[in-house]
Amino acid sequence: MPTENQTKEKTVLEARGITKRFPGCCANEQINFAIKQGEVHAILGENGAGKTTLMNILFGLYQPDEGELFFNGEKVDFKSPLDAIEKGIGMVHQKRKLVQAHSVIENIMLGHPDSGKILNFKRVKKEVSELCEQYGFKLDLDAKVWQLSEGQKQSVEIIKALYRGAKVLILDEPTSALSPPETRNLLDSIMSMVESGLAVVPFITHKLPIVLEISHHVTVLRNGRVTAKFATAGATEKSLAKSMVGREVIIKLDKVEVERGKPVLEVNNLSAYNEKDHLALSGVSFTIHEGEIFGIAGVSGNGQEELADVLAGLRKAASGTILLDGNDITHDSTLERWRKGVGYVPAERNEVGTICDYSLIENVAMNYYFEEEYVPRGIINYKSLRQLTESLIAEYNVATPGPDVKAKALSGGNLQKLILARVLSKKPRLIIVNLPTQGLDVGAIEFVQNKLLQAKKDKAAILLISGEIEEALSLSDWVAPIYEGKFMDIIPWTDAERDNVGAMMAGMKPKVESL
Amino acid sequence: MWELFVRSLDASIVLAIAALGELIGQRSGVLNVGIEGVMLFGATFGFIVAQTTGDYTTGFIAAIAIGAIIGLMHGVFSITLGVDQVVSGMGIWILGFGLTTYIGNPYTGPLGMARIDRIGGLSPFFYLALALIFLTWFVLNKTSLGLKIRSVGENPEVAEVSGVSVNRIRYLCVIVSGMLMGLAGGVYGLSYNPVWNYNFLMGWGFIALALVFFSMWNPFIMFGGAVLFGALWQLALSPEFILPGVMSRYLWRMVPFVITIVVLVLMSTRWFRTHWGAAKPEALGVPYKKEG
Repeated sequence: MPTENQTKEKTVLEARGITKRFPGCCANEQINFAIKQGEVHAILGENGAGKTTLMNILFGLYQPDEGELFFNGEKVDFKSPLDAIEKGIGMVHQKRKLVQAHSVIENIMLGHPDSGKILNFKRVKKEVSELCEQYGFKLDLDAKVWQLSEGQKQSVEIIKALYRGAKVLILDEPTSALSPPETRNLLDSIMSMVESGLAVVPFITHKLPIVLEISHHVTVLRNGRVTAKFATAGATEKSLAKSMVGREVIIKLDKVEVERGKPVLEVNNLSAYNEKDHLALSGVSFTIHEGEIFGIAGVSGNGQEELADVLAGLRKAASGTILLDGNDITHDSTLERWRKGVGYVPAERNEVGTICDYSLIENVAMNYYFEEEYVPRGIINYKSLRQLTESLIAEYNVATPGPDVKAKALSGGNLQKLILARVLSKKPRLIIVNLPTQGLDVGAIEFVQNKLLQAKKDKAAILLISGEIEEALSLSDWVAPIYEGKFMDIIPWTDAERDNVGAMMAGMKPKVESL
Repeated sequence: MWELFVRSLDASIVLAIAALGELIGQRSGVLNVGIEGVMLFGATFGFIVAQTTGDYTTGFIAAIAIGAIIGLMHGVFSITLGVDQVVSGMGIWILGFGLTTYIGNPYTGPLGMARIDRIGGLSPFFYLALALIFLTWFVLNKTSLGLKIRSVGENPEVAEVSGVSVNRIRYLCVIVSGMLMGLAGGVYGLSYNPVWNYNFLMGWGFIALALVFFSMWNPFIMFGGAVLFGALWQLALSPEFILPGVMSRYLWRMVPFVITIVVLVLMSTRWFRTHWGAAKPEALGVPYKKEG
C-alpha cells in the first residue's frame, strides 16, 4: 500500500459538476473529483457507467454541457486533444494509438513541438533514453512498432506522453493486454512516476486487485454519476464491487463438479499459419471430454486466435487432425461443423459474432438458417425465428426494446448474451468460446460464466480461451498456458497456481516438481 | 544510340515528375487514380497558354496552376466530402479527357516555338526532376513535416491525437501532388511532344500511377522505374534500333502497359501483401473522419 504522506500535495486536475448529455446512454451527471500531484487516483466503473465520456472530456475530444475543469487551479477549456496535451494531460488509450510502420522514436517525435523542423533524432533519443531509464522502461528506440509486444507498445505510448510533458497521465484499462510479469513492470513504473510528482489516473472496469494495490484514491462511477469515493486504505474488493454494480457480487465462483464423460474433441499435433504466413500455432495436442472445460490462458497473439479459427473451420490447418466424437472433421467446412455440433463464440462480437446492421432476429438466424424447421425448402420462416429470438431474449435477460432492433444498438454485454444464447440453445457438443468476458462489466461477466457452467452440466465439452488467469483458473478443469503457438504445459485445475500459470503465459518453462 | 538514350530519358522525366506527385499524395493517404486527367489538363493548358503568349515560363506556370486547382478539387471530394477516392479520381480522368479535347481542339497541331535549350546535352527538366526527387525524399524522411505526412498516411487517428491536423496535411499534399502532375503534363506537352492532339498523352498517367506502387513508395526506386519505363517506351517506338525484325512495333508498344498490368496484379496478390505489405501507407484510400 502506498504511503499517505505524498498525497497531501496540491490538486492538479479538478472537475466540478461535469455534465454531458447524449441522446441515449453513457452520459455524465455532475461529476466532481480532485486529483492531487503524486497520487494514483483510479476511476472505476462498469461499461456504460460513463468512463469513456469522462475520459474524452478530460482529453478534449468532447466539451462538457455543464461544469468546469481546473488545471493547477486555473480554469481550462479544452477544445481539442491538442489543448489538453499542451496543458499537460497525457492519455494512453486502450486501443493503441501508434503508427505501426514507424519506429518507436518516430512515434514519440510525431507532433512534438521540439522535435525540430529537421528531425533531431540524436538529441531526442538521448532525452527519451533518460526518461526510460528514470521510470524503468526498456525500449529499443529504433525498432518498428509492429515488432513490439502489446506491453512494449503501451510503454511507448506512456513515454510519448511523458516526453510531451504530461503532468497527469490517464491510462485506459492499463493492464488489460499485459501478461502478469508485464503488469508487474508497469505497476513499478507507475510507482516511480508518482514518486517524481506525476498524477496517474487509471480508468478500470474490473481488475479490482490492481486498484487496491496501486491507488491512493478511488472514484467509482455508476450510470454516469459518482457513487462513491474511497481512500483506498479503507476499501476492499467487495466494497468496490458493490458500489460499482449497486449490489453484492460473488467474486469467487464455486467449482461445478461434473462426471467426466466420453472424449468429444481430440486434437492431434495441430498447426496453423497466421495472416502474415508465419506459423502461429505449432503442434498442439489435447482432448476435451463431456462435461469438461479446457482453459487456454494466454496473452492475445500467441496462437490462440488461430486455434479457435482452425477448430471453427475458418482457417486451414497446416498439419494435424481434429476429431469430433471420433470422426475426423479436419477438412469439414464450417457449416458441416455447425451441423455436427460445434458452437463458436468469437472474440470479436461486433465484427465476427454479429452483423451490426442486421436485426437480432437475423443475427440469431445465422446459427439457424440451415435448419429445416426455420427455413423450410430454403424459404425463411420469420414467424418461427421471431418466436425463437423472443424466447432467447427472455431466457438470457438480453436488455433490448425488442427483437427487431439492429445488433449495433445493443451494449457489449447484451450482445454477448445474445450470441451465447443462439449458440448454447443448439445444445452443441463442443463450444469454442474466445475471450467470452472481455470488456464486459462485473454483472455480465457473472452471467456469462454461469451460463458456461450450466452448459458444462449439460455435458458439453468447452474450450475456453481467456486472457484472464483468474477466469481460466476458476472455470476450467484443465489449464493450458499458451506461448508463441505452443502449450507450455497442461495442468489439472487442482495443481494450477496463479503465479506459475502467469509465468508460463510469459514464456517461462514449467516448474519441475521438486521431490 | 546517344539520341535514343536522351530521348528515353526525356520520357522518363515526365513519368518521374508525375509519379512523384502521386507518391506525395499517397504517402498522406490520398490516392488519385485521375493522374492521367490532371496531366492532360496541365499539358493542354500549358500548351495553349505558351502558344498564345509565346512564353514557355507562363505556359509552365499555367500547367502547374491548373494542376493545383484539380488537386484541390480532388481534395474537396476525397478529404472534406469523404467520397470514395477511386470514384473521384476516375471522375477527374474523364473530366480531363473530355474537357481538354473540347478546349484544345482548335489548337490541334505543333506548338511552333523554338525548342527548350538543353543543358549539358540533357533536358533541364532532368536536373529539376532529380532535385525534386531528392527534396521529396529529404522532406519525407528527415523533417518534422515529412513525419506528419507519413503518419497521416499510415494512421490518421494517431496523427490527430498527436496534435497534427490531418485535413490540413492532406490538403497540402494533394495540392502539391496536383502541381507536380500538372508540371509533368506541361513538360510532356511543351518539351517531349509539343504537338497537340486529342488524348496525346496516351495513357502515360496510368503508367506513372503503376510506377508509384512499383516503387514501394520510395522516390529513388521510383526514379529507377521511370528510367526503365522511359527506355521501354522509346524502344517500343523504334524497336529496330536494338532488335530489328523481332515482333511488330505495335506489340512492342504494348509492353509498358503489359508490364503495368502485371505489376498491378502482382501488387494485389496475397503473397505480395504478406511479404511487402508494410511498405504501403496503411490508410491509403481511406477517407478520414474526426471522432467526437
